[in-house]
Amino acid sequence: MGFWLELAATGLITGGIYALVAMGLNLQYGLMRIMNISHGEFLMLGAYLTWLAHTVFDINPVAFLPVVAIVLFFGGLAVYRLCFRRIARTSPSVDVIEARSLLVGFGLMYLVQNAALLAWGADMRGYSYLADAVEIGGARFAANRLLAFGFAIAASLALLALLRWTIFGKAVRAMMQSPTGAQLVGIDTAVLHPVVFGAGLALAGMAGGLLSMVYEITPSMGEPYTVTALIVITLGGLGSAAGCLAGGLLLGLVEAFGMHFTNPSLKTLLSYGVFIGVLLARPKGLFAR
Amino acid sequence: MHWNTGIKVIAAALCAALLAPAFAQDAPVRIGYAIARTGPWAVGAQMTQEPNYIMWADQLNATGGLSVKGKKRKIELVGFDDRSDAETVVRTYEKLMTSDKVDLILPPWSTGATFAMMPLAQKHGYPLLAPTATGRKLLGMKNPYFFSLLQQPDRMMDALAEFLKARSVSTAAMIYVDDLFGLEQSAALVVSFKEKGIKIVESKSYPLGIKDLRPVLTDIKAKNPDAFIALSYPPDTFLVTAQAREIAFNPKAFYVAVGAAFPIYRDKMGPTIEGVMGLGTWNPKTSAATKAYFDAHVAKHKKEPDRWASAHAWAGLEIMQQAVEKVGLDRKALRDYIAGNEFTTIIGKIRFKNGENISTPGVVSQWQGREFEVVWPPDRATSSALHPKPNWK
Repeated sequence: MGFWLELAATGLITGGIYALVAMGLNLQYGLMRIMNISHGEFLMLGAYLTWLAHTVFDINPVAFLPVVAIVLFFGGLAVYRLCFRRIARTSPSVDVIEARSLLVGFGLMYLVQNAALLAWGADMRGYSYLADAVEIGGARFAANRLLAFGFAIAASLALLALLRWTIFGKAVRAMMQSPTGAQLVGIDTAVLHPVVFGAGLALAGMAGGLLSMVYEITPSMGEPYTVTALIVITLGGLGSAAGCLAGGLLLGLVEAFGMHFTNPSLKTLLSYGVFIGVLLARPKGLFAR
Repeated sequence: MHWNTGIKVIAAALCAALLAPAFAQDAPVRIGYAIARTGPWAVGAQMTQEPNYIMWADQLNATGGLSVKGKKRKIELVGFDDRSDAETVVRTYEKLMTSDKVDLILPPWSTGATFAMMPLAQKHGYPLLAPTATGRKLLGMKNPYFFSLLQQPDRMMDALAEFLKARSVSTAAMIYVDDLFGLEQSAALVVSFKEKGIKIVESKSYPLGIKDLRPVLTDIKAKNPDAFIALSYPPDTFLVTAQAREIAFNPKAFYVAVGAAFPIYRDKMGPTIEGVMGLGTWNPKTSAATKAYFDAHVAKHKKEPDRWASAHAWAGLEIMQQAVEKVGLDRKALRDYIAGNEFTTIIGKIRFKNGENISTPGVVSQWQGREFEVVWPPDRATSSALHPKPNWK
């Protein structure tokens, strides 16, 4: 593999990880305007569950991903019921939902983070899984990163298809466009809302499980991921599955090439530069309609 | 018979009444600190520092307490969570010193937090024996109450340069984290390497929280240096190790900074880290005292201490203990005693000069099997160095 191709592949793989981190929040904030600022905390929970299953019960982390998804999905239903249902019902407009859910999200963030601290302590944790390199066209890539990348692509495409071509997807999009209108045409938003929220947490949990193979984990690992996720979904266009993937990949590419041509220290400057540039040209994001 | 018993009871009661005030005077020695139990600093603080405070207080209390000029008094730790926030560090110490009026303080975690609260230690006259604060900048403050237990960056980098020179390393590449720690260490490294004639073929900085360093490592690999040095923090220490292995970048010497001495580094990376070097000072093989410390730590906290600053934190507590035994709790006298005397600790003799620990030499450690062996300087080595580094497993 040529040097440039390898550099591009490196950027794309990291970009895939960014997209992976953002997918869950894209469902919640992008489609429902629930500003779940505790997104990264649920990602952390997914990472801890996977770590626990692997180190204590010796369960294969990949095989455990569906379990993480199910646990977080039902966790999401409960969180929705306890925290967000009232907000969604009583808020006069989506803007108000956004503002109110932000506050609730902050509270959840502290709650979940400290619960993890109580349960597992502040120590850094981690395990080695699929850390060996795979050779593709002469270049070597860590298997666990490739897995995260592949998952991000597959999940994004699946989500895209689901939203675009199924009746369920249509209903979700209708709910986003006009909650009242959706109800008038017989869409049960009282069921759909919590299900989409739960799916968002399930995706966050699976992302966490995959990341726990690549990076080490701590109870405070979530916050930076929330920030990354917000940038990616704003860049891509809120609610757009394709935009989320494209936004993540773009960031990854910019970082990889930026690092090669300049200095890693300028990484933040470069990625925020692209972010601002895109927002100036297309204020609603790359894939917004 | 009855009278006898009665008299005995009365005598015992009188004795008790007379002795009671004496017992009451033995109030515990209150020792205050703020440290990260939550937030991003908690990983380091709970690895290196607070477990030592707790173990020290428990060990002493089990033997009657801290000897204050020969008289044993229990220790009462007054510890607060600083939430990884420098502002909270400062406010908490201010409260401990002014309204709680604790007898002594123990330091917070990290160079940044120590830097923030140092002026308070001077203002209120509390000796501060800091185990996780390093940098000439801190010493440059000329704070008479500040004592730095870690080796300064130039000491560590000199040791590394000597070690590499002795193995005929002629070229090196480095990356460093973009903050006070990385800047000081890299500046020291440039000086040390120049002195020893080791050419630096690449030098790049990177920001905290980076998730991918592969492009930089690929560029460095193409330059084929003998040695690679990452002046890194724990998340990046793991990251560069994993990514160097990923692209099969295997220089003769591979050195990572903070986090290399953490047991979790070995546990997360697995046997692949054989031959990786880093910042360390000691291990259980260093001496009988370090073995005893290690075993007590594992028994108490069910986790191993890190092989660098943990022992420095313990040494700081030992120094505090020896000084209080000698001069009591007069803090000005304590400061003078600490500044002017030599102490025996688990990392060897320690003497301070202008706040700097001038006794502990720069050390290079290397992972061999499951232990972080000291490989330089020769008189402290617990094993001979693996050079060149074996291939990544």
